[in-house]
Amino acid sequence: MLDIKNLHAAVEGNAILKGINLTVKPGEVHAIMGPNGSGKSSLASVLAGRESYEVTEGSVDFLGKDLLDMSPEVRAREGLFLAFQYPVEIPGVSNINFLKTAVNEIRAYHGQPPMQAKAFLDMLKSKQKLMEFDANLMNRSLNEGFSGGEKKRNDIFQMAMLEPKLAIMDETDSGLDIDALRIVSAGVNKLRSKDNAFIMITHYQRLLEYIVPDFVHVLYNGRIVKSGTKELALELEEKGYDWLKEDIRLEEPVQ
Amino acid sequence: MSAEQDILQELAGREYEFGFETQIEMDIAAPGLNEDTIRFISAKKQEPEWLLEWRLKGFQLFQKLTMPNWQNFKLPEVDFQGVSYYAAPKNKVKYNSLDEVDPELLRTFEKLGIPLEEQKMLSGVAVDAVFDSISVATTFKAQLHELGIIFCSFGEAVQEYPELVKKYLGTVVPQSDNIYAALNSAVFSDGSFVYIPKGVRCPMELSTYFRINAKNTGQFERTLIIADDSSYVSYLEGCTAPMRDENQLHAAVVELIAMDHAEIKYSTVQNWYPGDKDGKGGIYNFVTKRGICKGKNSKISWTQVETGSAITWKYPGVILQGDNSIGEFYSVAVTANKQVADTGTKMVHIGKNTKSRIISKGISAGHGHNTYRGLVKVGPNATNARNFTQCDSLLIGDRCGAHTFPYIESKNNTAMVEHEATTSKIGEDQVFYLNQRGIDNEQAVNMIVNGYAKEVLNQLPMEFAVEAQKLLSITLEGSVG
Amino acid sequence: MTTVTRNISFNEALPALFSAQFSANGWFDGREAALKQFLALGGIPTVKTEDWKYTNVVSFFKNDLQVTLPEVPEVTAAQLEATGLILPDTFRLVLVNGVLQPHLSQLPPASQVTISKLSEAGSQPAVELYFNQSPRIGEHHFAQLNSALFNDGLFIEVKAKAQVELPVQIIHLYAAGQARLFNPRHLVVVNEGAALQIVESAAGIGLADKVVINSVMESVVAERAQFSQYQLQTGGNNLRTINQNLVEQKGKSVYNNYTFTLTESEFVRNNLNISLDEERTETHMYGFYIAAGGQLIDNHTSVDHRMPNCESNELYRGVLMDKSTGVFNGKIYVHEDAQKTNAFQQNNNLVISPEATIFTKPQLEIFADDVKCSHGCTIGQVSEDALFYLRARGIGEAEARNLLVKAFAFDITAKVNIPAVRKQVEQLASQYLNA
Repeated sequence: MLDIKNLHAAVEGNAILKGINLTVKPGEVHAIMGPNGSGKSSLASVLAGRESYEVTEGSVDFLGKDLLDMSPEVRAREGLFLAFQYPVEIPGVSNINFLKTAVNEIRAYHGQPPMQAKAFLDMLKSKQKLMEFDANLMNRSLNEGFSGGEKKRNDIFQMAMLEPKLAIMDETDSGLDIDALRIVSAGVNKLRSKDNAFIMITHYQRLLEYIVPDFVHVLYNGRIVKSGTKELALELEEKGYDWLKEDIRLEEPVQ
Repeated sequence: MSAEQDILQELAGREYEFGFETQIEMDIAAPGLNEDTIRFISAKKQEPEWLLEWRLKGFQLFQKLTMPNWQNFKLPEVDFQGVSYYAAPKNKVKYNSLDEVDPELLRTFEKLGIPLEEQKMLSGVAVDAVFDSISVATTFKAQLHELGIIFCSFGEAVQEYPELVKKYLGTVVPQSDNIYAALNSAVFSDGSFVYIPKGVRCPMELSTYFRINAKNTGQFERTLIIADDSSYVSYLEGCTAPMRDENQLHAAVVELIAMDHAEIKYSTVQNWYPGDKDGKGGIYNFVTKRGICKGKNSKISWTQVETGSAITWKYPGVILQGDNSIGEFYSVAVTANKQVADTGTKMVHIGKNTKSRIISKGISAGHGHNTYRGLVKVGPNATNARNFTQCDSLLIGDRCGAHTFPYIESKNNTAMVEHEATTSKIGEDQVFYLNQRGIDNEQAVNMIVNGYAKEVLNQLPMEFAVEAQKLLSITLEGSVG
Repeated sequence: MTTVTRNISFNEALPALFSAQFSANGWFDGREAALKQFLALGGIPTVKTEDWKYTNVVSFFKNDLQVTLPEVPEVTAAQLEATGLILPDTFRLVLVNGVLQPHLSQLPPASQVTISKLSEAGSQPAVELYFNQSPRIGEHHFAQLNSALFNDGLFIEVKAKAQVELPVQIIHLYAAGQARLFNPRHLVVVNEGAALQIVESAAGIGLADKVVINSVMESVVAERAQFSQYQLQTGGNNLRTINQNLVEQKGKSVYNNYTFTLTESEFVRNNLNISLDEERTETHMYGFYIAAGGQLIDNHTSVDHRMPNCESNELYRGVLMDKSTGVFNGKIYVHEDAQKTNAFQQNNNLVISPEATIFTKPQLEIFADDVKCSHGCTIGQVSEDALFYLRARGIGEAEARNLLVKAFAFDITAKVNIPAVRKQVEQLASQYLNA
């Protein structure tokens, strides 16, 4: 589904990603962990197509197409979803109007007619129920005045509505209390299937207790320095990241 | 009588610390302003012909220009003919060493906390001391000279570096800019001149101390600072004057020029005599200050702490001509008793990717009035210009005023300009909280005001930040809200 | 002589024009004094006048501008219908060249509201009390010109405690064969405890040339009364509008002003002055403007907080396209006695075209210490973060931009309490933004 090869990226001339290799197959859940500033959120931004990031080397194949060649909206229409670390507030754009526009633009891209109002509302209701999402938030402006937890839940709700093939969750667990974390995780688990895949970017192992990953990768200094299964996450929780840094220093050639 | 009123009374009785007068024999020009006055000043200073011509042109403009009418205070009548335009301690036009300086003069500066003997000075600060119309001494000159830095009185620069003066004089503030700038260019006495050569980072703070002493005179100094490519300088000016019942005029011009990658930081701690509690006497501080970021990636930063003067009227600005250049303005202005301040800045964005930042904190107490007046102008070619302005007013007492007049003009659709302003008073709950922790009202207000002004005070070189904090406390003594 | 000619300036020509037709017109005896004051202020203001620094109107008052008492041509119900301005579920007052047309109007019940032509209201006690009495009216060049030259307009007085259920729509129609100056004049008095909403619209009918509308409305909102005024400035391209709205609020009253400038006319200048004369008043001012082509849209507002415990709240937004110019000047005065004032002001501008210009000046003058005042203004484009968020959800860039610009506008239209007005404004806004 996703094939990242030797991906290098920079912001304002500073190299942030320095050769990422990662393959994600349908049905898989990958966790990407790492200390602050290691490039985790940058990877999410590069995959979603944020313009301030410049890809300097490497390739990304998404469902057989060149992802890097697509505009952000085309990536979304192809089925790539980013749950934002900091979802923006957009006063004056109602949540519901925004979702309807997004759903129909994605449908149009796939040659489908726009959804009828009734069908859209039915879908809205069923997904609200599935995601335990407060219907009152639907009529408000997009994320405006939402609490941190409400914004994250709104993002997951949007994920349910847009039914992406690959969802990248950028520190979705940060700023969530334990109840919100449980609801968000339950939502993600409900959406998991053999046809879609998830990349969970997180700083803590906590989220991975709720959403069990198939693979865990450690990102450090713009590179994936270690990969393993869910046990790696436990090891990281226990020992921190410092032991890894030590290892890496030893591995780096003396200059 | 409440405690508040007690303290207010105390404030009314406070003394201006620097109000003494130096008894010294002076060489003073007869009052009056005409071509002969200008020829007299120019001759006294042994100036070249071109500078006399320039002064005379300034005088012609002064006669043509009219007083502005947009300011937010009643412009007092200034009798330009009743003022003497040249006053200097007798005997010497130029001092070759400190030994030649009248000991009374040295004592004056020592009393002001500005000893001119280098061994007594704050290390790391070079001072040019200006007494009425002339520069008394410039310290650390030799040390700076080794780096190629020129730091001397304006008069000396005219003699020693005429090409530099001629090249840059009046290029940032044209003589015709406003009537007081024209007046200054006709009659300017002394001031400081700074040139930092390419690639040199000036290792110490440069500072000028201005003292008005003589009666019935004005001070009209001129400062010109040029920072060549990739150089850096931090410059500070301070000022005081004796307490007198009549008003005295201070009409200075400051011009800053920053070339490619150069940075100039200009700080002012202004403590001219503010007049008494009834508004009698005090300095009219009508000053034109402007810098130009001529080169790419250059930066000019103005910081001012305005606590003195009966009326302060000035707008230190930056012309952002070079691409990627940055202009900053940090200001704290305090008005107590019957003081008036109408101050702010002009940021003119011309080059691409230029940025400006304006932080203004006004504090009004007693019958004081504080006006922020600013202009942010984005020209059609200033792609990606950015401005942020924060402009806050703090009111202490119910007889003062705070006014805000921001002009924002944008002709470029890639510009982003943000202006925010708030007005508030010192919160009773804040004072109470501090009281409850054992801090008296006076101290509580000081803490709150200093906290309020911190963002600006932090911009000052360390030694002067402490001085400025003290000044704020003294100015506001007793003005508990 | 009835016109300004090429050889003589408006200011010079005015005294003769005035004595020829206006000096003895109707019951108002302050015309002479108003003319004097207008000339004392310097006549037609130039850009040297601070309040007109960015707005040059001198050229509008040249070249054979007709300055006479207006004729009132017959307008048919069909012509009125064709303007498309009629709102459903409202009472309606239709004026042609400033004169009320009863046959086109649907008046609210006389038991609640007195409505008459201003020219016939000279003996009304409220007129004697309030007409031409607004504080600051003497500072306005064009209000003085209006006082000297006005012919007619509306007098509306809502009886104490009357709650006028439906909004009253006022449709101002202007018809003229050549360039001319109109000076309509209105007085609205909402008495103690009464409630009134008015919606104003304007249009030209078969205008052959550009006309200048110099309108003055004085309003008095009495104790505990509520008054909402909607100005829908949607009129066609031959109107040049200079609009003075002078409002006085008494104790515990509420006044809301909504000014929407969505027009093809090349020039609109609004002066909104509100004077809070007594305690515990509440004031809301919302403005939205879209300027395109070579339009100049200028909003000057001022609020005088004269007494304690009053609250004012102002939000103006604009979108600037093409070669247009936007001007905003908001003044808040907090006078010495006005302790416990809350005053907020915000002006946001989206600049869409590289050739558009915006001048904004939010201004505070504060003479009391126990106040909460803030103002802010921004000039910018749609937020890049918001744009990316929408695109990351599959919405195309152009569509996303459009959505954000509309969101910027609809944030304001959401404050409108009359559904038909909201619908009309949102439709017009969409139409202009899509163009």
